[in-house]
Amino acid sequence: MRVYGRRVHQWTRWPLRVTSSLAALLLFDQAVFAGQFLAGTFPALQTHRDNATYAGLAVLAAAVAAALIRWTGGGPLWPMFAFLGLFGLIALQIAIGFLRLLAVHIPLGVTIILGGLLLTAWSWRYQPGERS
Amino acid sequence: MSLSRRRLLGGLSAIGAASAVGIQILAGVRGSSSTGELLPSRIGLPKPFRLPFRVPPVLAPARSDATGDYYRVTQRAALVEILPGVRTPIWGYEGLFPGPTIRSVRGRRTVVTHTNELPVPVVVHLHGGHTPAGQDGFPADLLYPAGWTGDMMTGGVMAHGRRDYVYPMTQPAATLWYHDHRMDFTGPAVWRGLAGFHLISDPAEDALGLPAGDRDLPVMIADRSFDADGSLRYPSLDPSLLHTPGVREPYGSGVLGDVILVNGVPWPVAEVPAARHRLRLLNASNARRYRLTLDPPGPLVQVGADGGLLESPVAQEAVEIAPGERFDVVVDFGRYRPGQVVTMRNEFGDHTTTAVMRFRVGAAVPDPSRVPDRLAPAPAAAGPAVMTRDLRFRHGKVNGMAGWTINGAAFDPARPAATPRLGDTEIWRLSSDFHHPIHLHLASFRVLSRGIGGPGPYDQGPKDTVDLRPAEQASILVRFADHPGRYVFHCHNLEHEDMGMMGVFAVRP
Repeated sequence: MRVYGRRVHQWTRWPLRVTSSLAALLLFDQAVFAGQFLAGTFPALQTHRDNATYAGLAVLAAAVAAALIRWTGGGPLWPMFAFLGLFGLIALQIAIGFLRLLAVHIPLGVTIILGGLLLTAWSWRYQPGERS
Repeated sequence: MSLSRRRLLGGLSAIGAASAVGIQILAGVRGSSSTGELLPSRIGLPKPFRLPFRVPPVLAPARSDATGDYYRVTQRAALVEILPGVRTPIWGYEGLFPGPTIRSVRGRRTVVTHTNELPVPVVVHLHGGHTPAGQDGFPADLLYPAGWTGDMMTGGVMAHGRRDYVYPMTQPAATLWYHDHRMDFTGPAVWRGLAGFHLISDPAEDALGLPAGDRDLPVMIADRSFDADGSLRYPSLDPSLLHTPGVREPYGSGVLGDVILVNGVPWPVAEVPAARHRLRLLNASNARRYRLTLDPPGPLVQVGADGGLLESPVAQEAVEIAPGERFDVVVDFGRYRPGQVVTMRNEFGDHTTTAVMRFRVGAAVPDPSRVPDRLAPAPAAAGPAVMTRDLRFRHGKVNGMAGWTINGAAFDPARPAATPRLGDTEIWRLSSDFHHPIHLHLASFRVLSRGIGGPGPYDQGPKDTVDLRPAEQASILVRFADHPGRYVFHCHNLEHEDMGMMGVFAVRP
């Protein structure tokens, strides 16, 4: 398939689908681990902290994969910036978590999870060859 | 592009929704520094920093001999002037609030004979004392007023009229306090005034050269509210404090007052010479937490915690103190100009509760005191922990009503949550839903960790109360030394304690 005279690599959507799905899963897990330590499970707080790093890395990987759909797949540019923005929010979220600003940490966490899920849903709907 | 009505309405709705959410988030962004509900006073409050600071009188022993020092305390109702020109009925040790200070010397047995002239049974607990079980003030071991008929069926040891509390005082120098601890009614009894200092000194501490005498000031901080008639306002379901425990809603989360009393005086001012002073800070509030700072800023050099001296002093810029906790700090008023006023503030406060007290610095005077770099030897290495226990402190149903639980259960004097052997070391992992200052009787402990880090800045030294914040977890290393028997541990938010958040541990001999 060719768009605007360039060849579109169909495979490029797959790294994004995989990395964004992984990121969404790890982000959702943050809520799961938070729930567990609020329920009194001691080690879940350490898991919540460790998993924050993994979720951040997965979002960063998804940003790379999103760059791939732009420059190899001819797709849109905004998903890369969206994942980078999400990564920025995660960095902020980790700092806020350490400061125990829970009244910000929890709504921001919900926002981040929602953002991750929406981007993942987009990655599965996206067909190379579309410009947006 | 033309702006259709639909787009305009859509845009406005989106902005409206975003601001509604944003306002909600911003309004609550600070969270709460105390778990509790403000009970406003119904009487005009005095201006802060008008009334003189005072130190509670030191109780003289009725007799002293080779077997120890013998004190007598009568618990009775009294009318006192707390707000200027207003008579307030209180319950007090010797009719005073705070009660008289008892000073013990390490190694000298102290016997306090309490006479109960109040209209209710009482229990006296020496908070921080390494006390034999029968003398510790177990919540069911009631001292009834003389002539009382009937039995409240608590299953404890009963006494009528008077009884001795015998303290071996084998523990290191520390700032302790004594207060009422009757099952289900501790909150209102302490609120009415049943609290006082009990200080232990020892020769090792005396040799350090810390500020002493008039420059060693007990500072009991307690918030209260006043009713229109000048009485202390408290939302008891049963103001007789005899039958139905608990408070009316919404005060089940804790009762916060709007008047800050320091040694029973609202927002006092202390005249101090320009020299180092030791302030023995005690939070005797039912539920309020404080973050204490000096204005103009100056260090609070912490030398002691709940259970005695730190190994070495720590310069704190602020001290966060939860109900039941003590911080011994040294403040050098010599850093300030003579005539300068130094205000102790509460950064966790709002409106009337932001001010605590004020110092007016006097002339420079000779100051022989010092704060040595080494205060106390390192704690003896604890044996390996033989047990790790998880204790979850949270809101729950108690007898079908909203209350407070430990591992899902409300206080049951007959059912121990832990049965360590005498001499055992255990790790207790405590977790919370709201603010819960957790206090253990008998044993002093060290805080190992808070959250996923080490101990916090206010967790140092020997502790008997650890300040858990909402959704927080802390590990403590506790050695059950000194005495076998049945003791309690509980949340020192007294409304939480009265509504179930207390457990028993029985130390096996």
